[in-house]
Amino acid sequence: MHISFLIFSAYGMGGTVRTTFNLAQALAEQHEVEVVSVFRYRDRPFFEPDNGVRLSSLVDMRRHRPTFDGDDPEHARPAKVFPAADGQYKQHSALTDRKIGEYLSSTEADVVVGTRPGLNVHVARQTRRGPVRLGQEHLTLATHSARMKRLLRRTYPRLDAVTTVTEADARDYRSTLRLPGVRVESLPNSVPEPDVAPADGSRKWVVAAGRLAPAKRYDVLIRAFGEVVRERPDWGLRIYGHGREANKLRKLIDELGLYNHVYLMGSANPIEAEWVKGSICAVTSSLESFGMTIVEAMRCGLPVVATDCPHGPKEIIRDGVDGLLVPTGDVQAIAGGLLRLINDEGLRTRMGKAAHSASARFDPSQVAARYEELMTSLVNRRSGTLHRARGTLLGGAYAAREAARLGVKYALEGART
Amino acid sequence: MTLALFGTSPSGVPPRGVSPHGMPHGMPPRGAAVAAPPLEVTSPSGPELPVSEISVPEAPVRAVPAPETPVPEVHHPRVDCTADSTVGLTFTVRLFGKDAKEIAASQVPESAAVLLRLRHQHGPDASLRLPLSPVAADGRLRATLPSTTQLPEGRWDAYLSLADEEPQRLLPGVHDLRALVDGGSPSDAHAWLGVRIPYTTKNGNLAVRAWLRRPHAEAGTLRVEDGTMVLQGRLYGARLTATASLEALPRDAAASPVRLPVRPDSGADSGPGRAPEGPKTSSRAPERAPEGLETPEGPEGEPGDADARHAARDFTVELPFTSLLPGHQAWDLWLRPSADEEPVRLARILDDIPDKKRIFTYPSRRVADRDGALHSVKPYYTINNNLSVQVSTVDTQAAG
Repeated sequence: MHISFLIFSAYGMGGTVRTTFNLAQALAEQHEVEVVSVFRYRDRPFFEPDNGVRLSSLVDMRRHRPTFDGDDPEHARPAKVFPAADGQYKQHSALTDRKIGEYLSSTEADVVVGTRPGLNVHVARQTRRGPVRLGQEHLTLATHSARMKRLLRRTYPRLDAVTTVTEADARDYRSTLRLPGVRVESLPNSVPEPDVAPADGSRKWVVAAGRLAPAKRYDVLIRAFGEVVRERPDWGLRIYGHGREANKLRKLIDELGLYNHVYLMGSANPIEAEWVKGSICAVTSSLESFGMTIVEAMRCGLPVVATDCPHGPKEIIRDGVDGLLVPTGDVQAIAGGLLRLINDEGLRTRMGKAAHSASARFDPSQVAARYEELMTSLVNRRSGTLHRARGTLLGGAYAAREAARLGVKYALEGART
Repeated sequence: MTLALFGTSPSGVPPRGVSPHGMPHGMPPRGAAVAAPPLEVTSPSGPELPVSEISVPEAPVRAVPAPETPVPEVHHPRVDCTADSTVGLTFTVRLFGKDAKEIAASQVPESAAVLLRLRHQHGPDASLRLPLSPVAADGRLRATLPSTTQLPEGRWDAYLSLADEEPQRLLPGVHDLRALVDGGSPSDAHAWLGVRIPYTTKNGNLAVRAWLRRPHAEAGTLRVEDGTMVLQGRLYGARLTATASLEALPRDAAASPVRLPVRPDSGADSGPGRAPEGPKTSSRAPERAPEGLETPEGPEGEPGDADARHAARDFTVELPFTSLLPGHQAWDLWLRPSADEEPVRLARILDDIPDKKRIFTYPSRRVADRDGALHSVKPYYTINNNLSVQVSTVDTQAAG
């Protein structure tokens, strides 16, 4: 198969970029794989794809290059295909509409994969007849605006399949959007085997990593660690990452007198070298659409104490076997979970080993095999064309109904609702 | 694979011992392995300099036998670093050409080396050459910085040196430094204490931060209380006597130094990242250099000298902030093991974190001097990880 991924920017270092490259590289073992980046901001990507994955871009944003597209007057006009409901609407333009449209209408690929809602709308509306159209959801349906949900309900029937990163989100898609004839599958993000030997549970450090953002609830983690220190002052906590909460968290650490035990480490790349310096990973988010750091830590042999927040943690951790799930936002419960592992070296080591072996299911080769199965069955689906005609009709019917409800203006503006 | 590459090594084993002078001891010069010429840094005050801005005097002209195979063009060489518990470092490289194809170890000139250059310094001690040898079976090349090699204190930029080509900067790879996290096992058998932490520079290159101290006073748990700070620490390589004192030396020489008594502790600092078992001598034999490649002696005599082998000793010291008032300046903290010994700078260097300044931070406290003027006092680590205290006068009007 020839598989083509459409991504906002392959030149960033976020989760979507990492997971897309992991998947692309694993699929490239058997297939022809390309990654098409809408924007190019840098000469070289942070994560260099190898294994024959082709990387190309549509709009060059490098000022120092003669091919710089940023000054193109077309780029100053607002996008009409890329939906305003997508958070990255502002970066897109009439120019990206046209370039993405040209690529999708001429692609030789057998399977085209969109990697965020706005791009999935492009894939649904502009892909030429023939290729299988697949839309990935890396966040969750529940966190999208009502406007975005209406748009997806109208547009996604023109896709062949939607993939989510959790079962819970796949259930939401099936029950809330009711996409006729569209396969909705949950396929987790992948994390490759680390380049360092797994942790052995002997070092007295708890490690956390992620953007210092409110949803990560590092304030709760720091308070919980204050409880831990009362009982075990020989243990410390390292928090990796940067973000706008940094000053607030710094103040909290000082207020609680935890500056000999809790450290804000800044960003680290690669993070795997930092996981193995610890013996327990802590995740105290209020929301995790997947929970990439949980899998990363487990692949490094760390048992994870995580809050049982929607949606990812409970689908990754087997509570009491390879990690612990604790109630979201509950300082005492989080401290209790950490202390249980801190005070029981045998349990910690056993759970660490269990985490290490259980997390192998997230290896890119395993996730890619599941993608390959889905893609192959879609490519071979003899009624594929028929289904799509039906899907399009139904989608059109939804759109018409929606337009009638919202007024003609929206129908005229197409996807720009 | 081809240990024959190291045919000049009598035993056929790649040499591991190296001197700070760039050549393995007792080794005849091999092929193009010219000792790295001393550096001349054009702008000593500037930040890290790209290679192009460092003027390297021409290497001494010498007959270089034509290599049998052309030197491969290496593209963006990346190196993985691993620290072992005796604080030795291993550099592992896998080389790729411009076409992203891996360069086989057999194509790499036998003079290939990791070259460490002490930033902003020149002279024979400012460059260290670590020969790269093929790792059996997997095609990678490896160089070792043994724990027995002294690396003068500073920032050492890492280069890949191939034959007589201009060395190119090495990029960081995956660094397994877990052995350093809890201080490693600094060996008490040496007459010096060396710490080497690989890190990524602001420009994304690989460098090694080095400290070389003996005696050494390691700062540990530090509590900032209302009018005082309480510091726990550990002294290496000197005897902590009844006359031991903490000395706060003002940066501004007009103020006089402050001296405070130091209390030896029976119990060790139990804070995280501190070796919990208390005073210890090295549990393992220090890595031995191969025969004939003895490490130069430290400044304080033979390794094994009784004086250099004092068991590390834990201490606690209390510094009342009022003793640093009034004024507006930084105070550097030193520990004097006894009345007749030189003071030792307090620092925190025994872990995996090269720059403490922004990670190990402490709250500030408001303290009034005898005249009632408010001062803000805050302990901090300097860019060299030494412990100091900043005293700032507080503008009471602005402070409300």
